Amino acid sequence: MAHEALFKPIQIGKLTIRNRVVSTAHAEVYATDGGMTTDRYVKYYEEKSKGGCGLCICGGSSPVSIDSPQQWWSSVNVSTDRIIPHFQNLADAVHKHGGKIMIQITHMGRRSRWDGHNWSTLVSPSGLREPVHRATCKTIEEEEIWRIISDFAQGARRVKEGGLDGCELSAVHQHLIDQFWSPRVNKRTDQWGGSFENRMRFGMEVLKAVRAEVGDDFCVGMRICGDEFHPDGLSHDDMKQIAAYYDATGMVDFFGVIGSGCDTHDTLANVIPNMSYPPEPFLHLAAGIKEVVSVPVIHAQNIKDPTQAERILEGGYVDLVGMTRAHIADPHIIAKIKDGQTDQIRQCVGANYCIDRQYQGLDVLCIQNAATSREYMGLPHIIEKSSGPKRRVVVVGGGPGGMEAARVSAERGHDVTLIEAEPQLGGQITLAARAPQRDQIAGITRWYEMELARLGVDVQLETRADDSVVRDLQPDLVVLANGGHPFLEQVPEWGYSDNSDESLVVSSWDILGGKVEPGKNVLVYDTMCEFSGMSTADYLASKGATVEIVTDDTKPGVAIGGTTFPTYYRSLYQQSVVMTGDLGLHKVYREGDKLVALFENEYTGEHEERVVDQVVIENGVRPDESLYYALKSRSRNHGQVDLEALYAIAPQPTLAESGDFALFRIGDCVAQRNTHAAIYDALRLCMHF
Amino acid sequence: MLQTLLPILIFAALAVGAAGAVRRIRLWRQGRRTPMRWHRLVLMPKRYLNDLHHVVARDKAIAHTHVATAGGFVAAMALALVVHGFGWHNPILGGLLLAASLCMFIGALAVNRRRIDPPAKLSKGPWQRLSKSLLAYSVGMFLVSLPLVGVAPTLLGGGVLALILLALVAWGLAEMLIGMGWGGPMKHAFAGSFHLAFHRRPERFDDQHRDVAHDVHRGSRSTALFPLDLTAKTLGVEKPADFQWEQLLGFDACVQCGRCQSVCPAYAAGQPLNPKKLIQDMVVGMAGGSDARYAGSGYPGIEVGKHHGGPSDAIVPQLVEAQTLWACTTCRACVEECPMMIEHVDAIVDMRRFITLERGETPEKGAAAIDNLIATDNPGGLDNASRLDWAADLDIPRIQQRPEGVDVLLWLGDGAFDMRNQRTLRALVKILRAGGVDFAVLGDEERDSGDVARRLGDEATFQRLAERNIATLSRYRFQRIVTADPHSFHVLGREYGAFGGDYVVKHHSTFIAELFDAGRLSVKAAEPGETVTYHDPCYLGRYNGEFAAPRQVLAALGVEVAEMERSGYRSRCCGGGGGAALSDVPGKARIPDMRMEDVRETGATTVAVACPQCTAMLEGVVEPRPQVKDLAELVAAALVEPSAAPTARTSTEAPEEVPA
Repeated sequence: MAHEALFKPIQIGKLTIRNRVVSTAHAEVYATDGGMTTDRYVKYYEEKSKGGCGLCICGGSSPVSIDSPQQWWSSVNVSTDRIIPHFQNLADAVHKHGGKIMIQITHMGRRSRWDGHNWSTLVSPSGLREPVHRATCKTIEEEEIWRIISDFAQGARRVKEGGLDGCELSAVHQHLIDQFWSPRVNKRTDQWGGSFENRMRFGMEVLKAVRAEVGDDFCVGMRICGDEFHPDGLSHDDMKQIAAYYDATGMVDFFGVIGSGCDTHDTLANVIPNMSYPPEPFLHLAAGIKEVVSVPVIHAQNIKDPTQAERILEGGYVDLVGMTRAHIADPHIIAKIKDGQTDQIRQCVGANYCIDRQYQGLDVLCIQNAATSREYMGLPHIIEKSSGPKRRVVVVGGGPGGMEAARVSAERGHDVTLIEAEPQLGGQITLAARAPQRDQIAGITRWYEMELARLGVDVQLETRADDSVVRDLQPDLVVLANGGHPFLEQVPEWGYSDNSDESLVVSSWDILGGKVEPGKNVLVYDTMCEFSGMSTADYLASKGATVEIVTDDTKPGVAIGGTTFPTYYRSLYQQSVVMTGDLGLHKVYREGDKLVALFENEYTGEHEERVVDQVVIENGVRPDESLYYALKSRSRNHGQVDLEALYAIAPQPTLAESGDFALFRIGDCVAQRNTHAAIYDALRLCMHF
Repeated sequence: MLQTLLPILIFAALAVGAAGAVRRIRLWRQGRRTPMRWHRLVLMPKRYLNDLHHVVARDKAIAHTHVATAGGFVAAMALALVVHGFGWHNPILGGLLLAASLCMFIGALAVNRRRIDPPAKLSKGPWQRLSKSLLAYSVGMFLVSLPLVGVAPTLLGGGVLALILLALVAWGLAEMLIGMGWGGPMKHAFAGSFHLAFHRRPERFDDQHRDVAHDVHRGSRSTALFPLDLTAKTLGVEKPADFQWEQLLGFDACVQCGRCQSVCPAYAAGQPLNPKKLIQDMVVGMAGGSDARYAGSGYPGIEVGKHHGGPSDAIVPQLVEAQTLWACTTCRACVEECPMMIEHVDAIVDMRRFITLERGETPEKGAAAIDNLIATDNPGGLDNASRLDWAADLDIPRIQQRPEGVDVLLWLGDGAFDMRNQRTLRALVKILRAGGVDFAVLGDEERDSGDVARRLGDEATFQRLAERNIATLSRYRFQRIVTADPHSFHVLGREYGAFGGDYVVKHHSTFIAELFDAGRLSVKAAEPGETVTYHDPCYLGRYNGEFAAPRQVLAALGVEVAEMERSGYRSRCCGGGGGAALSDVPGKARIPDMRMEDVRETGATTVAVACPQCTAMLEGVVEPRPQVKDLAELVAAALVEPSAAPTARTSTEAPEEVPA
């Protein structure tokens, strides 16, 4: 595949971008020291540039004013000149590898939180509360408007002085500029509200002030929404009118277009489409904007695959494709295409671990690539071969932790055997992928399968590893990643038994794995409130069961991030699944051919009963420790991972020792955590093998 | 009786042979004539003893055999003429004649031994007979000459034995002298001598030529195709008589030794080409007749004996199928091996020219490439302005911005449009920068060199491209052209001269070797245990004699090199030259697969290449296989770059992940 359209350089303003691929603005939550782009931040973007990305627009929602709080999402602070030298470091690092870098600058208006840091009073055109952030705000005054316009100009100046290649004004995601645009939020009757021109005025004054400050040669773009998807908001036709209006000024060098507004939970989920969405679901909106503007249009939303990107570009729908999560999963996409290693691209699966962490104020991390944003710590995207002795590495368990351990060990040049009891790799990912809308998570496994085959790892499927099987392989190093089992034995009254004929309850694994047929009237009891329980309920409902999902927590799915719980809710509500919170499951017993589940309300102590024909319990994973304890005493390190070395990204001291094999365990066979945790531990442990 | 009959026999054989020779010369002169410069015949002995023998001597046993047999025969014949012909019965001459005959006899024994179970490359038929004829001649001549030194006179005095002896001599004389003129196997000596004297590429025998110094050859590598006069009535060769007469002469010199056949990559791949058969078909065409009497291996997949031709009959398809011509990769392995210095590739391109220019029957993908070249100046039909797309982030200087001139003009070639080759180009740019080379590119003013068009026979498109490139180049100042594409290297360096473009052109391997020599590149030590083999591109090696520089580069990298059995001037083609990748004639195997098998036999994990076409062909071999890396990529990966200045840290931070 030649990918000619993808690799066609393009001119944006006076700037030449080497290809059509953009890492679009997203909140990284990496800026430290009061919003400065320090080491971690620089290395994160340097890696993308090294990997061939054409343009990085960094710093999603970087505020230009001190009353647009920066700290909640550790965004880049463009409200102070202190940022300028940091920008110089950032620009140098990206330019060194031929990429270009811009930053998004904004005032978030009401789209923030006031309850911390400077305890700023948030501002908005008409003082209306924002639902997603539960943010109350004041009605902005004329003086504040002009101050913020001037702050934008100063912010743009800092970007230019810092040597970045341009800036993008955020008029998307209901920031202050598009808060003025949207009649849903702007109810003013003065010159800043009402008519189209009045609603446009704030953005226009910002644009004029910025242009006046940075001149004609500096690249200035605008990120806008393609349709707010609210009856009282901006429609696609409105957005075309707006785009054409600003484009006519000749002051905008490019438009970035995103489908959907995002001031409700449901619309927010559209903005960063998870794996339940089709590819590029909102391309048509960006293409509509492209019809009415004279400058390049960038579009990002579920564009993950180079062939898909090529198709979009060849079709002429937009001029540049944003492949932002695609770069979080693999910052070397472009380099791999160029090097003829397209098969080695670790493709984003849309798990949205990255963005769901961001909405909780946590740093953006990739579910499957533990090196992303940890470049500064020395975690590699490309693992170098070891110059030390070639070792015999045995990995037990083909889930994410085991697959990563095998991959990394093999990349280091060792002789690796991976033992998996099931007939296929993937571990719990395989189960997760069985649920409706979740099949794409299997992409994690698919990549590992291809990599392990490429690296020549001896994968032994349907093989149960006991201590003699492991020791017969005469390993130097043993990594246990053999996971666990559903923890149904925790409460004896639930009536779980190893004998499936006697057991009153089944596990989410039994259901998703297809071991047990779905009942007609099913109760799902979910103590975890994460993907597993919701996926089980969704799966059961999709097979025609009448389902109630009950939790002792506040609401089912409450631990799922902001871009994913809405897609579960859409599906569960549509299938009339009942979601009940605050009930703890006390006991399950049989009555005739029915099962009775006895609950107690956490707050009233009152008992409730459900009469069903199947009870499915999701109570997390209990580690399988027997193999570990069988091997532990023989191992030279007694199975201990040296935490200081692990956390310092240093080799395990036992690697330098001799004797019998060294033994490590990672992932859920130690204690239940998640996919990222397992992969992270595998990487930082095995990268020194 | 003998004394009476011998002179008659000798002079009769000479006379009949001479009549045949005159007829033979007439056959050659059916071709397009150039003035007959008889004095060139004096060049023959030196060319024979020096240049031709240099090629023959690659097979020592055959060389010795030939020296004994041919030397013995020439001496014995000359002496026989004096002694028996003119009757000067001098014992010393007689002794010499005996010695010469004996020498020839020993040679003939070796020839006979080789003919007991001849290798497949050899033709049989009359060539089997020749070995016996040589014995007959040498034995006969020896015995009839014994009386001259006073031995066994009675035995030869008369009777049946004398008659038998006379018959032996007659048989020998008939084969040697009459056969020479009338088209027997000994024709090769006569046509071969003339061919050496009148060879169309006299530079091949010029040991003063500037090429010679860095080459394995004694003469120049005269490998540029001859320009075609586009105003001629017929473009290219339709019928044997359309060849220039020296070419017909050259075909006639073929000894059917089959060295060409055994090195031809298309033949080995089971494609319908056998250079030896092709040359014999040209002889059939020149003399008229069918190929039924051909006694060697045919074209794979095409039955021998079904084709016929005549000097004024169209060659394709009556005599030779078009597929045969399109299977050639123009790798020149046949020309390189030919002891008679026949120019197979010239002939094939001449015939392709007619098919393409007069019949418009270039095979499909070849025709598309030509159409693209006509429309867009590159064979891919791509926007020529996108030639530098791959370098958008490299800030490569354009020569248009350097009116004062540059040292090196980097000629990108059409590989600039290909993502794989862009890796090579990026690596080369990195090397040039590391070596502090002052260079620039033409950018979208560069056009395809015309190589593919020319090899596919479209001389018109080639000449147009050449003229436009030359006009472009004349506008800018540079010391030399460097290119990573051996085809561009060959065409710019060797073929543009005929159109007024004279440049110093260096292949990147040569240039990189010079950078190493000048101490301008530093590289880190190679990883132990990784073995590399080097694949010589035809247009770099056989066409231009550059075998050393790529190996110097690998030596500078310190990598362990395992040579393939077929390397250097005997390198096997990748299958991609001469438009063969476009004409894609089916065979039993793929040429690049066979080449990769050569690579595998060395145990190398990497095959170093130095040509975009070779890279594409070899990387097209299904994995697992050794990796394919251009020399530039290997060098760029090993470069020790000056360490970047540490970035100014404006604050320190602990490697903690959870933000404040």
